[in-house]
Order: sequence, then C-alpha cells, then structure tokens
Amino acid sequence: MKKRIIVIGGGVAGMQTALRLAEQGVEPVIVEKEPELGGKLRGWHVLFPSFTPAEEVLTALRRRVNESGIEVLTSAEVVGLEPRSVRLADGRELHGDSVVVATGFTLFDASIKEEYGYGIYDNVLTSADLERMFNEGRVARADGTAPRRIAFLHCVGSRDEKVCQQHCSKVCCITGVKQAMEMKKLFPEADVFNFYMDIRMFGPGYEEMYREAQQKYNIHFVRGRISEAAPTIDGRVQIKAEDTLTGRPLRMSVDMLVLLIGMRANDDNARLAEGAGLNRASSGFMAPRDLFLGNVCSNVGGIFYAGAVTAPKSIGETLNEATAAADAAAKYAEA
Amino acid sequence: MTFYAPFCLPFILGAALMFLIVAWKWGKWLWLLPHEDKMRILRGLPTRRTVAAIGEVVSESLLHRRIFRVNPLLGYMHMSLAFGWFLLILTGWIETVAHIGFRYVPLQGHVFFKYFATGLEHKPVFDFLMDLFLLFVLSGVALAWGKRFYSRAMGMHRTTKHVLGDRIALSALWFIFPARLLAESTTCALYGGGSFLTGSLGGWMAEHIGVMPLMTLESVAWWFYSSCLGLFFVALPFSRYMHIFTEIPLIFLRRYGVRSSEKESSYDRFQVEACSRCGICIDPCQLQSVLGINDVQSVYFLRDRRYGHLRLQVADNCLMCGRCVERCPVNIDLNTLRLNSRDRMRNVPDERRYGYFKGLDRSSGEGKVGYFAGCMTLLTPRTLTAMSTIFEAAGEEVWWADREGGVCCGRPLKLAGETDSARKMMKYNADLFRKHGITTLVTSCPICLKVFREDYDLPGVEVLHHSEYILRLIRAGRLTPERGTTRFTYHDPCELGRGSGIYDEPRAVIEAVGQLLEPASTRENALCCGSSVANTAISDGQQVQIARAVAGELEATGADVIVTACPLCKKAIGRGTKGEVRDLAEIVAGALK
Repeated sequence: MKKRIIVIGGGVAGMQTALRLAEQGVEPVIVEKEPELGGKLRGWHVLFPSFTPAEEVLTALRRRVNESGIEVLTSAEVVGLEPRSVRLADGRELHGDSVVVATGFTLFDASIKEEYGYGIYDNVLTSADLERMFNEGRVARADGTAPRRIAFLHCVGSRDEKVCQQHCSKVCCITGVKQAMEMKKLFPEADVFNFYMDIRMFGPGYEEMYREAQQKYNIHFVRGRISEAAPTIDGRVQIKAEDTLTGRPLRMSVDMLVLLIGMRANDDNARLAEGAGLNRASSGFMAPRDLFLGNVCSNVGGIFYAGAVTAPKSIGETLNEATAAADAAAKYAEA
Repeated sequence: MTFYAPFCLPFILGAALMFLIVAWKWGKWLWLLPHEDKMRILRGLPTRRTVAAIGEVVSESLLHRRIFRVNPLLGYMHMSLAFGWFLLILTGWIETVAHIGFRYVPLQGHVFFKYFATGLEHKPVFDFLMDLFLLFVLSGVALAWGKRFYSRAMGMHRTTKHVLGDRIALSALWFIFPARLLAESTTCALYGGGSFLTGSLGGWMAEHIGVMPLMTLESVAWWFYSSCLGLFFVALPFSRYMHIFTEIPLIFLRRYGVRSSEKESSYDRFQVEACSRCGICIDPCQLQSVLGINDVQSVYFLRDRRYGHLRLQVADNCLMCGRCVERCPVNIDLNTLRLNSRDRMRNVPDERRYGYFKGLDRSSGEGKVGYFAGCMTLLTPRTLTAMSTIFEAAGEEVWWADREGGVCCGRPLKLAGETDSARKMMKYNADLFRKHGITTLVTSCPICLKVFREDYDLPGVEVLHHSEYILRLIRAGRLTPERGTTRFTYHDPCELGRGSGIYDEPRAVIEAVGQLLEPASTRENALCCGSSVANTAISDGQQVQIARAVAGELEATGADVIVTACPLCKKAIGRGTKGEVRDLAEIVAGALK
C-alpha cells in the first residue's frame, strides 16, 4: 500500500512538496485553509528578478497538481498536528505516515506603523496593494490621477524592534527595486525614491537589477528610514526622513507612498508548535532541527518543514526546499 | 557624684565622632548651597514655615506617619524605634533633672543614669516609664527581626539588599536595646529598683545568680551596651542611619523652598543621605515586578550615588514613572535626583548638532490657540486627525505649532541628561510661540505638557493638555459628543497623572462619551506603560513585557476600548494587546455628530 503524507498548506511550498512526493511514489494530500490553491502568490503580479508573471508559475504548479491526481482539501484549516495525523477545524482528523508543514507566513499589518498613515490617509499603500493594482491594470492615486512622485519605504515591519519584528524579511529589498522599476515603466515622467537602511541584494541578478534601476531608470535611493508621514492640503503625503549619508533631515511631498511590508510568522504557529512539541525561533517562525543537515526537519520525528514557515524565503528557494522536504518526508514514511 | 566609668569610653568616643562628622557634613553642605538657596533659608527662618517644619519633623522623623499609610505594622515598627528611643532619651533627661536638679551632667550621665544613680532614692514613676518605653522600643526591634524573615506581614514583598556597613550598623542597633535591658536589669538585681521589666528581670537574676557573678555580669553588660552604642554611632554617618539626623534639616530646607534641579547642588546631599533604605520604593517598581531587575530602584540609585559608585547603567535604568516617589516616606525628589545624575554623566552639548534650526521656521497662521501635537502624536496620526476634527467642530482657529517650524519640546533630551541641548530646543520653541503671540497652547502629549509648564518661560500663555482643553469645549457647549454605550477603561499616563496632577479631566471627558471602568491600579497608583522615554536601558522586548502586564490589567476591567491620553502610552499599550487602544481625542471625535 502506498504511504500517505499530509502536506499542510497549498501555496508554492505545499504544491511543490506534493508534486515531488507524488513523483516519489508516495500519496500526498494537500490541506489548504483558503478555498483555492496558490497561497500568497495569488496576489502577486510579476516575480523578481526576471519579471516572470506570477500567474505563469502558479498556473504551471496548479496544472501539474491537477494532472498528478493529488488529493486536495480546500477551506480546511488545521488546528493541531502530530507526526501521523492532523486535526481540522471542522473536527475531521486525517491520518498519514508523516506531515510536511508548509503554512508560509503572514504579511505585516502596515497600520501598526501608525506613523505612516496606512489606512488613515489616501495614497499610502503597501507593496501587496501595489501588486494587486498592477494585476488590475489600474495604478493611480486615490483621485484617479497619475503619480508624479513616488516614495518606496523599505523595512516596514522588518528589522524593527519597535514592532517586535527583529528579523530581515529578505525579499522586500529586491521587491522594492522591482516595483520601482515597474512604476517607472508605467510613469516614465515620475520621480521614484527608495528609502532604505540597507539594500540587501543577495540573489543572482539582483545586484545587476539594482544597478540598472539607478543607471537606466534613474530611481533614487536614499539611505534613511522615513520617520513619519502626514497628509498635505492638496491630498499628497508629506514625508520626513533623514538622509543618513549626508546627515541632513529632509522633508518632501509625494503623490504615493508605498510601504514594503515584511513577512512575519503566522499567529497560529504558537498553537501548532505547542500542541506538537515543536521548537520556534524567537522571531515566531518555526525552528528547523538544525540549519545545515536538518534544515527541512523539525525537532519532532515525522514532521517536516517546507518554505517560509521557517523563515522568509524567495519563490526559488521555497521550491528547492519543498523538494528537499518531500524527499525527507518520503524517506521517513518508507522507513 | 561622678558620672564616669571606664565602660563609658566606647560611647563617649563614638558619640563625639558622630557629632563631629554630622556637623562637618551639614556645615559643608549648607556652606556649598547656592546663594539664592541660602537667602531662601534666611528669609524663611522667621516665618510660619519653621513652625510647620517642626510639626513635620515630629510627624515624620519621630512618628513616621507616611509609613503608616504604606502598612500600619511597618509604621509601628519604625515609630517604635524612632519615637520610642526619643522618649527614652527625653524621659531619661527629665529623670536626671528630677533627681539632681538643673546642673551640668555629661552626656554619658544621662544615658547611663541607671548605673550612676544606684545611691539615689528610687522614683517608681520614672522606673515605670523608662521600662514602658524600653518595651516599646524592644517591640520594634522584635518586629525588625521578624521582618527579616517574613516581610510580607508588613506589606513588603521585597526588602533592600544591604551593604556590609549597613549590616554592621544594623546589628549594632539591634543589640543596643537588649543590651540595655540586660545592663539595667543586672544593676537592678544588685541594687534594687526598676519596674515591671528591668525590676522583674533583676529580681529573677538576684534569686538565681550569686552576687559575685552578677557583679561581673553587670560590668560586662554595661561594657557591651556602651560598645553597641559606640559602634552604632561611629557607623551612623557612613551608613543608612545618617537619615535619622539628615531628614530633619531636609524638612526645614524643603519648607523654605529649596529644591533640587536639573543640575546637581549640595542640597541634593541632604536628600540623598536622608534615604533610610527602607526599601518601600522597591515593590511599586515595575522593572522589578515585571522584569525582575532588582538593582536599579531608587534605594540602590541613592546608595550608589551617595558612595560615589553610580554607573550610567543604573542611572539610566528607570522609567521615571514616579510610582516610587508617591510612596517614599521621606518625600525625596527621586526623579530630579536621577535627572541631575544623568546630567552630570551625560551632558555634553554638541554645538554643531543644532545648525538645522536656522531656516526651519516656515510657520504661518493667525490662531491665538497654538496646537503642539508633539513628536509622538505626529507618529500616531489618528490622534492628530481626531484633534483636527475637534478643532473644526468647535470652530477654533488653530496655529499648528509643530507642523511647520516647531522642534521637539526638549523633554526627552532632558530626561536623558542632555540638559544643555534640551535648553536649546526649549529656547527655539519658546521664541516661536512668542513670535506668534498665542494665548493658549494645547498639546496632546503629556511629556511636552510637563516641560512647557515647568521649564518654558511663557508669560501670558496658558498651557493645556488636550484633555483639559476638550473638557472645556464640552462644558462651554462648543463640542457636543453623543454619549454611547461603549465601555471604556482609562490608563493614566505617568507624565499626565503623577507628573502633572491631571486625573479628573480625562475621566470627565470619557464619561461624556461612554461608560468608564477603572482598572485595579489607577490614578496615583497607575502603572507605567513601560515605553517611557526616560528609560534608555531596557530593550524593546522588555518594554513589551511591561506593556503586556499593563494591558492585562486594563483588559481585566472588561472594557471594550482602552483609552489613554498620551501618544506614547497608546503606542506602548498597543504592543501589549490585540484589543482596541484609543487616544481620548479619537473617542471624542468619533462621538461627534
């Protein structure tokens, strides 16, 4: 009889894990709390650094899941897990031979940083809002006009002790560069600024993209976090910051302020971890058994991790990790 | 009649040394006082303030009235030691006079009168009184022993960890009165006299111990008693017991209007050495109760400062919430002392740092009411937009003081000890306010409020917190919020409540909008949100821990919304709860039709 492995989460990590498991001759079942597969990627427009449409990746993954005949439970929220079973919110219990947790992350709620006025003033939006606007094909200010000056603010809800998020969310730097370039393509006349504390271009092609943004697109990078934003009488957003390279405070009015929100740990990580005896990092993300030879294993035998449930990751990294997690889980189940 | 025996020597030497050192200390501190403080004292001397000071000395230095408010048993313990000892000395002096009239008797003659007076006829009234007062003091000593083992009985969860010098003095003090009991009882055993305590014990001794051993015992006991006194007196000026004498001039100086300020002065010495290290300041400290930090509280800060080994880490690690100030039985101005310690250790003004002031003022507007939101309010724009709604609804023409020109009020710098830099900011803002000729200055930030009221020189400008201002608007009928059914609870911000004495106005405003539920710790006892700008030592994680504890207490009221009147508190408490936290202005703006 085929071994059965439960994959919690139907995003990029979950789908890739399930596909790899099916390939290995194991029977996976995906448990997804949303009504459809896709996870966070559903809201995204194009992916860095190649500007590949997110839809392309999603469609391919979904099609393959479909073709492989993988069992998928949607609108099914997991409330507890053990190495051989998971409990759902509706009381159902699923049994298998091991479990892969691929529950991903939660986007930081920008309204917590009240000083930026998200949800209070017009024309303050998050990177996720902007992706949605790109997808809808309507990028404009609240009054429908085109923005002439746009500011991106990096590290909103990342590396910020004030909101208890010490970790770096890793992907927002390059996302900021990508979105700035997209805005510049849409509005060639607009001035685009990126306010940052550090620009971390860790991936292949990222540094080149950053250089291109400056040289070809004339996007301005200012080292300094924005301290506060306030509305102006004409409906713009006035921002205050310090240019820490020149040591001068600066103030400017922009038509649009985009907050590059970070990735934080899911709230229910705590409950799941407690129920199953899993370790969590101080950031709230799940802690792998170790960071080298056991980075897809949990500290509990039979429970494995794939993707951003353990830390912020890019799509490419998540896909790789899902493959590794599937192999480890299959090996455990077969043993 | 001679009043000398060799055993008196430790006492005589100890007492002489003590009086010399105390006189030298006081003399030096008084001499070093700034000229204006000396004038204050001279002007105050012939006034009723002196009488009031005497009254306070009796009620505090002797009776310890304020400690009774903390806990009656603790109050009794302190009172029995101080007032009991005082009564012993006073009655002893009267007893001497009664026996031999008004003639010079050396100090040891009064103190060891029982030893020298064996040849005189007995006066049972004095015997009785002296025994009674000795019992009074001994009961205090017994309680002090008990407190070592079980302090909770006296309402104290934690007591002071004492340094070695204090322990020596403390041990000497504990032995003084049992030693006295023993010495006087042996004398009574040999020569008769005494009352229910020394007389009875002496009688028992006479029955059970032979005369020769008794005589040896008498000599040993008096030597021991004198040595305990001598040791205690030598230790006194260098230990916490310096407070016994120092609190007295402190009370007088305070009554004459002498105060500590942001710069250290020799008056501070009176305050620092008036601390008895009773440790009452430890329990209310949230750094202790929530975070388990137990070496930075006022008692330890004062101790370190007094002995000259204060470190910046200790001086900095204080929320300056004022909860300990409320409890301090000596009324020491703890926050100001901490401020001027920080000033001494950190005040290094950077002249170039404020070059940006030039050309900063782009202010305009005509309003006679200036609104200074405060930096933290600018970072919590919901409050800001609510204030804007309120001004509009009331038809108030407002000049937005810190939108186009104003700088930070200066208090965060002052609290950090960068006093001179703070003064630069204060001067800049004060000039700006004067330039606009405002008559009312409203602020949403209690931190700014306190510095405007206390450190800014703004004649003709009334400074109001927005809670006071909003209440005025409501009472004048200029604002008509609708009273709903929402249940609110109110968090007293430290700088607004204990700092500026504003407790009632925010509550009145809340009751105009909905129902008010009081948390367990409220008004003068309110908890600090934990994110005080005065503390630069604890981490964000620790701030959040305190915020969670505070939010827990507020949530326990069952209120729908937590209301506060300080943008910093609002942000801080928001980190400790998933519930709704609002500024006073927000709930008022939300209730306007």
